[in-house]
Amino acid sequence: MNSASSKIRNISNLKYKEKKLEYWGPTPDESRKAMVNKSHALKDKTTTLKDAVAKHIKNGINLGIGGFVNTRVPVAIIHEIIRHGATDLTLSFQSNSICPELLAGAMILDPDRVSIKRVELAWWGYEIIGIAPMLRYLATNGMIEMDDYTNYGMSVRFKAASMGIPFIPVRDHGGSDMELINRGKMVKCPFSGKNVYLIPACHPDVGIVHTTAADMYGNARIFGAYCTCPEIAMAANATIMTTEKIIASENIRTYPNLTEIPFPVVDTVTEVPYGSYPGASYGSYWFDMDHLKMFRSICEDFRKTGSKDALKKYYDEYIFGCENHDDFIDKIGYKTIKKLKDLDGGQPIILT
Amino acid sequence: MSEYTPFEMIAYTGSRVLEDEKIVFVGTGLPIIAAMHAQFTHAPNLYMIYEAGSLAPILEMGMPLSVGDTRAARKACYLKGLCGAFELTQRGCADYAFIGGAQIDMYGNICSTIEGQNYDKPGIRFPGSGGAGAMAANCEKTIAIMALEKRRFVKKLDFVTSIGFGDGSADYREKAGVLGAGPYRVITNQALFGFDEDTRRMELLEVKPGLTPADIQDLVGFELVISPDVKDMAEPTDEDLRLLRDVIDAEGYFLKRVIKK
Repeated sequence: MNSASSKIRNISNLKYKEKKLEYWGPTPDESRKAMVNKSHALKDKTTTLKDAVAKHIKNGINLGIGGFVNTRVPVAIIHEIIRHGATDLTLSFQSNSICPELLAGAMILDPDRVSIKRVELAWWGYEIIGIAPMLRYLATNGMIEMDDYTNYGMSVRFKAASMGIPFIPVRDHGGSDMELINRGKMVKCPFSGKNVYLIPACHPDVGIVHTTAADMYGNARIFGAYCTCPEIAMAANATIMTTEKIIASENIRTYPNLTEIPFPVVDTVTEVPYGSYPGASYGSYWFDMDHLKMFRSICEDFRKTGSKDALKKYYDEYIFGCENHDDFIDKIGYKTIKKLKDLDGGQPIILT
Repeated sequence: MSEYTPFEMIAYTGSRVLEDEKIVFVGTGLPIIAAMHAQFTHAPNLYMIYEAGSLAPILEMGMPLSVGDTRAARKACYLKGLCGAFELTQRGCADYAFIGGAQIDMYGNICSTIEGQNYDKPGIRFPGSGGAGAMAANCEKTIAIMALEKRRFVKKLDFVTSIGFGDGSADYREKAGVLGAGPYRVITNQALFGFDEDTRRMELLEVKPGLTPADIQDLVGFELVISPDVKDMAEPTDEDLRLLRDVIDAEGYFLKRVIKK
């Protein structure tokens, strides 16, 4: 392939180390093999989250995180991963808030239990609530390797993987410093002769997604924005899914057009109501700004003072002090959940 | 004329630059407020794209607090995911990108990734591109909202996150492989900027009443092109302020923020 270059030179003050052009997880060939070799049977995949995580989450994996910022984020799965422990992780996502922050906080408390080695991403923060303190801490101390793309870039990298292709041409990143620091490459289009930017497919070892509804086989519906959940589930070697509600497979077959994630790519399904809390799940509950603010301010205090006491207390109370997500939601309490359901306003979803 | 705050002036000016019967790809906060104000006033047929995946929602549940807010999906015409939203853009359906950032240079390039020169160990790490880099590349016109300060209007960025006109050369964007026409307006509470057609440099178009082009130049770290016909910025009327304060951001999530120095 002819390599090309935009004219991006000396536009900014940037200093950087060039990255090797390589995949930060399974290669497309490895991922194809993993998909071919797993059972494609239409079988009951319901299990506890504890068993799902124990089976699939290993040290050193690339973990693809679904949702978008505070929407349909797989918080219940993240809590279980923290209880289970996983070190040397590569995280891949487009934009997320509490999921990578929770993993980063766990790393700060006990790097032998949870640690993040590197992150391929577009954005890490809380939007209206503020910047992500743990990202700032880890990045400015040089504790994690970063690889930056746009939201489209990360989304379409999962999409390329979901399509079984090794890279995809895009019309962004070029001419920005992302062209220099990330693992994409500018080439000449063989048809037009013009410059076009290629970015590598992103196959996580394990994709984690929370969906609106699914049957016991893993056929899933998503209402509200899909974010990049279908692509992540399709791209990953294994997908752990939580869902607000398990529905009859007959319902899936009545409206097959509504299935956004098909059963062959899903490895486990667990019904976890409020599985995205304190994030939002369209049709069920809005995000809990107070809880997100509370956790964020604990992280910000750590970043500013170095004291881990409040952080440890949060994890002891809400993660290690809980056997599962039901225990966590019990601690949040009915009144908060009721308020968040009211704030969702009964967005229309189809479960029949 | 009522008193108005800097954020209200930015939201009002943002609204003014949006035309009717166009599609605007919005970022969180002031861009959403500006687009909603435009819909309530001169541009009832202006539609929004939200990057989580919705096109042309009806915001009857109130202002979305983020671009991923479930409220931004309400009664949309088309609701997919990030790929869907950005592919509409890459295909040419988004007339405006509405973005912000930490630093901007004279060619409209914007930084929202790091402060400090070392990518691998930056002085400050910002959230990252998010949608901004893709919006600046492939929406047809980019509108940026910035705070008018010397440390933000800089000669050289620490990191180019969102492409503008690059080094200012005529074919920079084509060589970069991006599709949109590029920077269009930069909105601050004290000045409105465009870009000079020949040099692609930032050009002062309007100033807040009472200020002069020299006042604005003092707040900018590079030499501005000054339009031969600098106008006064229009100020929000009582009705505009009522819409902004009582209807659009009634809880004051964005307009009542305190500016941190």
